[in-house]
Formats: sequence, C-alpha cells, structure tokens
Amino acid sequence: MKQWVGLLCRAVLAAVWLSAGVLKFSDAAGTVRATRAFRLLPESLVPAVGHLLPVLELVIGACLLLGLLTRAMAVATALLMVLFTFGIASAWARGLEIQCGCFGGGGNVKIDATPGYIRDILRDLGLLMLSAWLVWRPRTWLSLDSLLFRPLERFEDVDEEQAAVQG
Amino acid sequence: MSTKSKQQSKAERAARAQALMREQQRRERNRNVMVVGAVVAAIVLIVGVLFYVQSTRDRSGLAATEVPGNLTGDYSVTIGQSSAPRTIKLYEDFQCPICAEFEASTSAQVDAAIAAGRVKVEYHLVSFLDPRSANAYSSRALNAAAVVLDTSGPQVFLKFHNLLFQHQPAEGTAGPTDAQLIAYAVQSGASRQAVSGPITDNVYHQWVLNTADRMSKDGVNGTPTVYIDGQEQDPTDAPAAAQAVLTAVR
Repeated sequence: MKQWVGLLCRAVLAAVWLSAGVLKFSDAAGTVRATRAFRLLPESLVPAVGHLLPVLELVIGACLLLGLLTRAMAVATALLMVLFTFGIASAWARGLEIQCGCFGGGGNVKIDATPGYIRDILRDLGLLMLSAWLVWRPRTWLSLDSLLFRPLERFEDVDEEQAAVQG
Repeated sequence: MSTKSKQQSKAERAARAQALMREQQRRERNRNVMVVGAVVAAIVLIVGVLFYVQSTRDRSGLAATEVPGNLTGDYSVTIGQSSAPRTIKLYEDFQCPICAEFEASTSAQVDAAIAAGRVKVEYHLVSFLDPRSANAYSSRALNAAAVVLDTSGPQVFLKFHNLLFQHQPAEGTAGPTDAQLIAYAVQSGASRQAVSGPITDNVYHQWVLNTADRMSKDGVNGTPTVYIDGQEQDPTDAPAAAQAVLTAVR
C-alpha cells in the first residue's frame, strides 16, 4: 500500500521536472551556455547535451505526472540527480562561480556562489530520495501503470506460488 | 473407482489447472512486454522529435551575414591609444543592472583615462538578457550600438554606450523603442539618416545572437566581467571590480 506516498512523490518530481524543462526548453541557447559553464564536457558534446536535457526533463516529468512507466522514470530521475549533484559539487570544488542553470538562466554569475551550491545539492538529494521511493514502490494511485498492468503484488504472489510448486 | 485412481485424477486436475495458470501468466507477460515496448517506442519518438525541434530552434553560432565595421576583434572593439599602459577588458549586457552600476561608478574616470592615453578598453558587449526584457531590449540595444559603431566610429559608440547605461530600463519592463534608440544615437553624434534603417531592421541580429555564444566559449559566464591587464576580477563582487578599475585608471 502507501500508494498515496507514491502519488505525492510523483506529483513533486513531475512539478520540478516540468517547470525546469519548460524554462530550459524556452531558452535553447541559454541552456547550452549553462551546460558549457560547468566545463565538464568536450565542446563537441555541449550543444547536443544542452538541447537534449530539457527534452528529457519534459518527457520524464510528463510520464511521472501520468504515472507511466513509473519505476523506469524514477530510475532515470535518480540517475540524473546523481549526475547533477556531481556536476554542481565539481563546479563548487573547482571554484567556478556559476549558477547551476537548473531552472534555466544560462549559468550566470550569482552574487554569493557557495550557499547556492549547497541549496542546489540539498534540493537534488531530496529529489533523489523521492525517486528512490518510487523505485521501491512504483505502484501509485491515479497512474496509467495501474490501468495498463495488473497489480504487481499478484505477479509476485504467482511467482512465489510457482517457486513453491517447482521447489 | 479405487482410491488410487481418484488420487490420480485429482493430481491430473491440479496439473491441468497449473498448466492453465502458467499459460495465462505467459500471455499476460507477453502482453505486458508489448505494452511496455509500444510505450517506450512512443517515448523515444517524442524525445527524438523534440530534440530535433530544439536543435533547429537554437540559431546561435550560425554565420552572421552582416557584421558591423570598426570592430577590433570578432565581437569586441578596443577604444584608446594602443600605447596606453593599462588594458581593461569588459563584458557587458545593456540590460544588466550590475553593469549599469559599474558604469555609473567608473565611466567618467575611464573616459578621461582613455582620452589621456592612460588606458585602452576592450568592450565586449553581449546580449543574453532578452528574457529579462518585455521588448527584447538587450538584443535591440546591442544591434543599435553595433550600427552606431559601424556608421560613426568608436568615439560615438562609446558615448552611445554610456547613454544607454544611464537610461537602462528596469528588468522585466519594456525598454526604449527603436525610435528612442535612434534618438539616443543622434544625441551621441550619429547621423539619423545613417542609423535609422539598420536599427529598425535589426540588421546585426545574427551577430548579436552570437555574442553570448562567444562569451560562453571565452569562459565568461556573466556580466559584468572585468579584466585589468589580463587579470580577471572577482565576478561575484562588482563594487570591488569597479574600485580596482578606478585605481588602475588613476
């Protein structure tokens, strides 16, 4: 059970992904600059990553909102949060003074960089925990998954029965 | 019927039931695999289309057909005597409020130092703050400045540049219209006839778009960014950078 917890996780993650995705998507060149500002990727990859990232964010956000392939989307979210946290921590460690551009804005200098890095990392780790819940309990209220697929528990029961019979 | 055969038929029934259940499970699994496959295929298609849309929407970095004259670098103009002992390099956006503060506290002294041959200034005007303007002021102002530089030279450009920072619109509001920009250009010493058309037609729009791309590739991530004799000033402390500039041009 605890399907309402999963619904809440989906709602929060979807809201974050969709707002971040819309802001990034609306400023394509700015998102490419924000990606470049981290100085982690070779220049040949920077534009492609800058163009792909907002698309992934929008699609993952939409799927989480609908509850479609929830577990896979939660895994993707968790992976991206780990990457983002690494990127921000790395920029901080190298003494770069940039904004993360997490919600658009092109990686511009901010007045006080260090507290910004801490805030961004804490937010991403919080979102990582929400996605971890969904990886563990992907079945949630009001989801397309529960329309498309039989409840997972019944599968698990059947698997256990089968294991018992075969054993 | 013997008890033995009764037991046998019971076992057979159980086996049949189990086989049926397995068959049902197999079908269900096959169906699930197909549903997941179809959904994944649809998602991949949507990602591909949106990625293509986003790549074609981003026109920054494309070759500019119209490039202003009187530049000294691809995207910069150096003002001052080449023999001047100090060099200042500036990245500024006409819509950037901290740039306006920086200009307010330094431009009079910097202009005097340029005129006296104590300093030369490499101006990198860039445009990335259109999202902070109700009428794309950042890019229109830079186009107008490029037109002034092209038609009237660096000295008039510098006056126009100072004038625009003195009359900077607040973030999120509508900035001066093209007609107002033309009036500022004339006030700075440009010819109305020469600047009107190219300002209204936004002739340098691609060059203007590319300035932000170039800034980013130069490793500069915001404005104002100030270098004194090649030394980058702390980008998070514009007042200190202004103070350092005032000391350098003294």
